[in-house]
Amino acid sequence: MNPVVELRGIVKRFPGVVALDRVDVDLRPCEVLGLIGQNGSGKSTLVKAIAGVQEPDEGEIRVRGVRQRLASPQMAASLGIGMVHQEQSLIGSLTVAENIYLDKPSDSYRFGWYRWRRLFDAARRQLDKIELDIEPDALVSTLTFAQRQMVELAKVLAVEELVEGQIVILFDEPTSVLGRSDIEALFRQIRRIGSRASVVFISHRMDEVLEISDRVYVLSDGEKVAERNRGATDPDELYKLMVGRQRAPDDARQSRLKGSEPQLLEMRGIVVPGHVHGVDLTVGVGEIVALIGVQASGAEELCRGLFGLNERMAGEISFAGHPAHIKGPTAAIALGIGYLPAERKVEGMVRGQTIAENIALTFGLDFGRAGTIIDRGKERREARLWADRLKLKATGIDERIERLSGGNQQKVVLAKWLMGRNLKLLILDHPTRGLDPGARGDVFRAIRELAASGLAILFIGDTLDEVLSLADALHVMRDGRITQSFPDLAAHRPHEEEIVRAMV
Amino acid sequence: MVKSGAYRLSGASLNGDRIRAMGPTMVLAAVVICAALTAPHTLSLRALAGFSIDAAPLLLLVFGSTLPILLGGIDLSIASTASLAGVLASLLTPELGSWAVIVIVIGGAAIGALQGYLHAKLQMPSFVVSLGTLGILSGTALFITNASALPIDPGFFLIDILADRTAGVPNGFVLVLAIWLALILALRYLRFGRNVYAIGAAELPAFMSGVDRVQTRVVVYALSGACAAVAGLLLISQTLYSAPSLAQSLLLPAIVGVIVGGTAISGGVGGMASSMVGGLIAIAVRIGSVVLGFNPAVQNIIFGAVILVAVAATIDRQKIGIVK
Repeated sequence: MNPVVELRGIVKRFPGVVALDRVDVDLRPCEVLGLIGQNGSGKSTLVKAIAGVQEPDEGEIRVRGVRQRLASPQMAASLGIGMVHQEQSLIGSLTVAENIYLDKPSDSYRFGWYRWRRLFDAARRQLDKIELDIEPDALVSTLTFAQRQMVELAKVLAVEELVEGQIVILFDEPTSVLGRSDIEALFRQIRRIGSRASVVFISHRMDEVLEISDRVYVLSDGEKVAERNRGATDPDELYKLMVGRQRAPDDARQSRLKGSEPQLLEMRGIVVPGHVHGVDLTVGVGEIVALIGVQASGAEELCRGLFGLNERMAGEISFAGHPAHIKGPTAAIALGIGYLPAERKVEGMVRGQTIAENIALTFGLDFGRAGTIIDRGKERREARLWADRLKLKATGIDERIERLSGGNQQKVVLAKWLMGRNLKLLILDHPTRGLDPGARGDVFRAIRELAASGLAILFIGDTLDEVLSLADALHVMRDGRITQSFPDLAAHRPHEEEIVRAMV
Repeated sequence: MVKSGAYRLSGASLNGDRIRAMGPTMVLAAVVICAALTAPHTLSLRALAGFSIDAAPLLLLVFGSTLPILLGGIDLSIASTASLAGVLASLLTPELGSWAVIVIVIGGAAIGALQGYLHAKLQMPSFVVSLGTLGILSGTALFITNASALPIDPGFFLIDILADRTAGVPNGFVLVLAIWLALILALRYLRFGRNVYAIGAAELPAFMSGVDRVQTRVVVYALSGACAAVAGLLLISQTLYSAPSLAQSLLLPAIVGVIVGGTAISGGVGGMASSMVGGLIAIAVRIGSVVLGFNPAVQNIIFGAVILVAVAATIDRQKIGIVK
């Protein structure tokens, strides 16, 4: 049978990374194709290319044998390709019916006026198709999360009336926030539409992918490394394939004498409703502790909670020997805790201000007169010092931060924390995201030096590679819990498959 | 491709910087030159001293309302705070004497602080909070005076001193200059100033860097309220009567002064030096339209048009994203 969608030599580059490197994909009629791979392996980028959300830089896409340029979701929809998004794309203040027809031509409006009766009838038919018992005139904001996921499915399935023959439905981690019964309902729908549709399914849960898919592609570092039919593989082999091509880190850390330093941070029974369900964690003075997990593992929420960014976090925290109640960033900083956010552009850098102003924002007054009056001379010397140590590339510290490359921006945000004389713990949330290898090396070197001088580091890693080359201890998180701990990586170096198995 | 894009970007914002830095000063210079050519007597020392009395309250309102705008917000209640301060001066001086002045300034700061707290804590837009306050304060002023003007008796030390002159220079104007200098120093050398600019430039990263958003807003709006109260006292020290709508006509020129000076309505850019230039331009427009014999209504038309042009020239569109 001829494939419905063929991708040939797809390349997609982002600044500093090649997200997809000459990937070929065939999607056959009436099949469910699973995509697996670690974070950053290119799964989402691949389905976004098919959905017209992100056009690839190179390569060819054929739909039903005809070469197509998919430059927008509308173009993809007109060819019968629809995507169920990871983040839900429904508009809460509109009715279910309006949402379903928002992005489609329909006879239910004329001259800009809705013909409500027709609209509701048409939506009713779409909802009936997947046996969904929701009124078309209900506001989306009144639905439960699982119901919205099903409405999203109905919205995507409505494209089948626009084209003849097979349609293509793309699922980008649809199950990450659903309970088991909702997942089963979703799988029933996927099987039911199987006669009319080809499905691409991404999930970070291995068992789910094997349950629903007829065929599986394994992606690693932007390349397709394997293709397996359902009967011909097992989870063990897939774990190996996911990590197989990664080189072993060459510069693992020296073993530390465990227990010789006092504990700096002790967290007991930490709960963040909906994200973290009972985590115990300790970080010693000068220790680098890594957390790793797939999306929604709870590692990010745990770290943000520790910095005082989630009021609903509960549990016991003891910092430097005292019980701590961290109400917000100001309180966290007063204790000596810093946080490098994952969303650099949104939360990390102050756009419109210079490198010097960004670095001095938090701890500038440590270098002031009597702790109240700013001493720009001293402050700028210190800022320049850190810029040099991190090998910041800029014309000077009076350059505006938004004119720097991503890696250099990250160095500025990092320098802001390193300037603090009383900083005891630095939380790094995906510190190397979007950084090129050179900048990554500079940041790693700085982290190692800081730990050697006694700063404790708690960081969320993007890749196993990064975690294994940097950390003293590693905790793997999944669904809000620590599933496996490796307290001394230098003494006992785990197999990568072992880690990935705990992740997914 | 990346290179040309980056060039274009930096070129555009460099232009923006230059317009912000030089434009207002050139406008002010042009206004002064026009005055020198058409009505040279307006630039005599005597005349300037006279203008400075008239200008002091408006300048102070410009300085005070610069702070909320630097944060990316706005305080619309300044003129009604000033009017109410004048009314209260009439009502309270018979009871409290000079102490009334201190009570009124603290009261103005307290009203501002409360606005800042509501705005920051309940996440209400500043224009809504201050618009509500505007209604409450101007209504209160009308209510307690029965909508009539009240005289204020001379002979109270603190009010007389505002109306007096030292070496030919009006004391009120000197006070305004002193407040201006103090605000410059606070913005440049205190953590407070750094926090104001950081919140104005990018609030979320500032918050994540330990900037206390609530505290900074409370202080900013308290200063704005205190400046407005002092401006109201300056007004009545000249007129020697108070009226519930005495300062109402100053709201628009005050905001115009801030914006025309180059402080962006989107926050984070500008400051007290800009506002001095902008405030002087606003005053020149007021005096100029009187000297040239325009109908007073024309003033508001000019200010209205100027504010639209100035905001269009200085706003940072990249930052605003979606405008509502």
